[in-house]
Amino acid sequence: MTSSVIGHLILKDWRLNRRLISLCIGVGLIALVIAQYGGQVVRLLGSVWFFVSLCILGSMLPASAILNERKKQTLAFVMSLPVSSVQYAIAKALSTSAMFVVPWLTLVISALVFIETGRSIPHGTIPMLLIVAMLPLVAFCLISAAALVGESEGWLMATSILCNSSYWLVWYLLARIASLAANWTRPVAVWNSTALTILSVELGLIASIVGLALFLQSRKRDFI
Amino acid sequence: MNDLATDLAFELSGVCKKYRYFTLEDIHLKLPRGQIMGLIGANGAGKSTTIRVLMGLVHQDSGEVRVLGHRMPAEQVAAKWDIGFASEDMRLYDSLTLDWPMGFMRSIYPNWDGAYAQILLKRFGLRAEQKMKGFSHGQRVKASLLLVLARKPQLLVLDEPTTGLDPVARHEILRELTGVMAEEGRSILFSSHNTQDVEQISDQITFIDRGRIIDSMDKETYLDRWRRLRLEVPLGTELPPLPGIVGVERQGRLAVATSNDFVPDLTHAYENTGARVQSIENMTLEEIFVANVEHSREEVEA
Amino acid sequence: MYGAFTLSQSDKRPMYFQIMEQIKQRIMVGDWAEGQPIPSIRQLAVGLQISVITVKRAYYELEREGVIVTQHGKGSQVASTPGLGARLREQELEQHLEQAARIASQLGMPPKRLAERLREAGDRVAEKDRELI
Repeated sequence: MTSSVIGHLILKDWRLNRRLISLCIGVGLIALVIAQYGGQVVRLLGSVWFFVSLCILGSMLPASAILNERKKQTLAFVMSLPVSSVQYAIAKALSTSAMFVVPWLTLVISALVFIETGRSIPHGTIPMLLIVAMLPLVAFCLISAAALVGESEGWLMATSILCNSSYWLVWYLLARIASLAANWTRPVAVWNSTALTILSVELGLIASIVGLALFLQSRKRDFI
Repeated sequence: MNDLATDLAFELSGVCKKYRYFTLEDIHLKLPRGQIMGLIGANGAGKSTTIRVLMGLVHQDSGEVRVLGHRMPAEQVAAKWDIGFASEDMRLYDSLTLDWPMGFMRSIYPNWDGAYAQILLKRFGLRAEQKMKGFSHGQRVKASLLLVLARKPQLLVLDEPTTGLDPVARHEILRELTGVMAEEGRSILFSSHNTQDVEQISDQITFIDRGRIIDSMDKETYLDRWRRLRLEVPLGTELPPLPGIVGVERQGRLAVATSNDFVPDLTHAYENTGARVQSIENMTLEEIFVANVEHSREEVEA
Repeated sequence: MYGAFTLSQSDKRPMYFQIMEQIKQRIMVGDWAEGQPIPSIRQLAVGLQISVITVKRAYYELEREGVIVTQHGKGSQVASTPGLGARLREQELEQHLEQAARIASQLGMPPKRLAERLREAGDRVAEKDRELI
């Protein structure tokens, strides 16, 4: 019975955020199409747009799904349902992740399909694409965790600003890693140890952020 | 879980909760099943905190809470299947229409009575297809109540269900709340600072002030024990302190004595001092509440 | 059945007392006959939108006065004593008479004068009744 409550809570979040999600997917796909055609500048714009739409989703979704529940005082309604605070956190984590991961996967897979079927972008970009696409996912986890545990707009804004302003720096640093940059123009994807290490670091970060957030949340004694 | 515990809708024993600027102290409260309890207190007295501790939304620092036999907050999930909670500061999802939470409740709760929900929609004058952001305050309160009433829960916990409502809406809600009593075994706890509503429908009344329960007993006993005596006292006569008198106000020859434990002997006692008892009046719950709070604050300060 | 019950919180008398009075009135005018079943405590409480405990008290006092009878599991009914309505009217008269006597004593009126005043009042009422016909 409780699993159905969690299920319904997840569906509720989807229902509330479906506009935001569709918008993100829409914009991302348009950006991908633009990145295929046109000159260098247009392509660059398209690629940037593609990632930026993921970044924006990464910071708007926690605000809409997590913080608004508290701000708009709908939290009391949710907690009047037969769920505990831990179950609520799980439902929230599942729904928020799904709401990000689904568009994320859609766009990343679309990007891979475009690269595969189109001839204009070399396959060598694939490792870099994945590494860079993982960044909004890491950021999203961090911002969500801050919103859930911090329970305030302050925490959400601080982590959002931190992440959004760090993207450029990280992109720059990644572009400077010789062993990655060298393989961009290759027609084949090259998975060297550098690429794999960076990916595993990103995945590790995600796991630790999620774990820490759930741990901190379970220690809370006051729900409202 | 012993059988005795399930005769009570809820029981709080020695509950304490400390916040930075407010402390809920040593709360002892219980309600037998099948009754309505009205919780009266000024703003900031601790009504909402007590209710939140009861619902397991706030974990008490010490003391035991049992609701419908379940320990809170440990067994809050089991308890909440049978509790309907609505609070004045609770909001529903603005961008959605009213039939969304109705459908939501229907799919979660097996007890949802769809026919009754439709009746309530008509009685409350609500439109299920209307977006909730367009609701007035009164409509919003009525919508929240509809969602808990149609579930027919064993216990209704309502934080200020009639606050800010016009007289017609209040009447509609009191009608539904008393209607709950048609089924034996269902109970209601509601908080209010509208003493008239509490006086009308409560079986048990609890006064709370500054984080403490001042008094908790059945309504008829309250109304029976409190009296106002209007006295005519000859000048120069001092009125002696008497047991059961919590306050005397005097101006010249006229005095008003307030008693919280009236017995006819009091009248005789006053008459023996030479005072004439002009009248003995019953007090409204509001007057009792104010007198009780003032008396208890004096005692605390002493 | 509860239509004509009017309870007022601004009335100085307690609610349970008002209920008692209005039940007695119905018996006095004959709307509720001797031995007739009356709403259960819960039904009346729900119908009047007041607390069960208040109705319980009213019924308890009424039972003590022999006006109603409650059988466990069977509900309540007006007592079957014949002439109950008339007896209640008698009681009402007694109360009014005592009240008149009390006020008269406060005014310092001698009992003989009070009896005269009562006769005069009776004449006035009879006069008004004749005018209505």
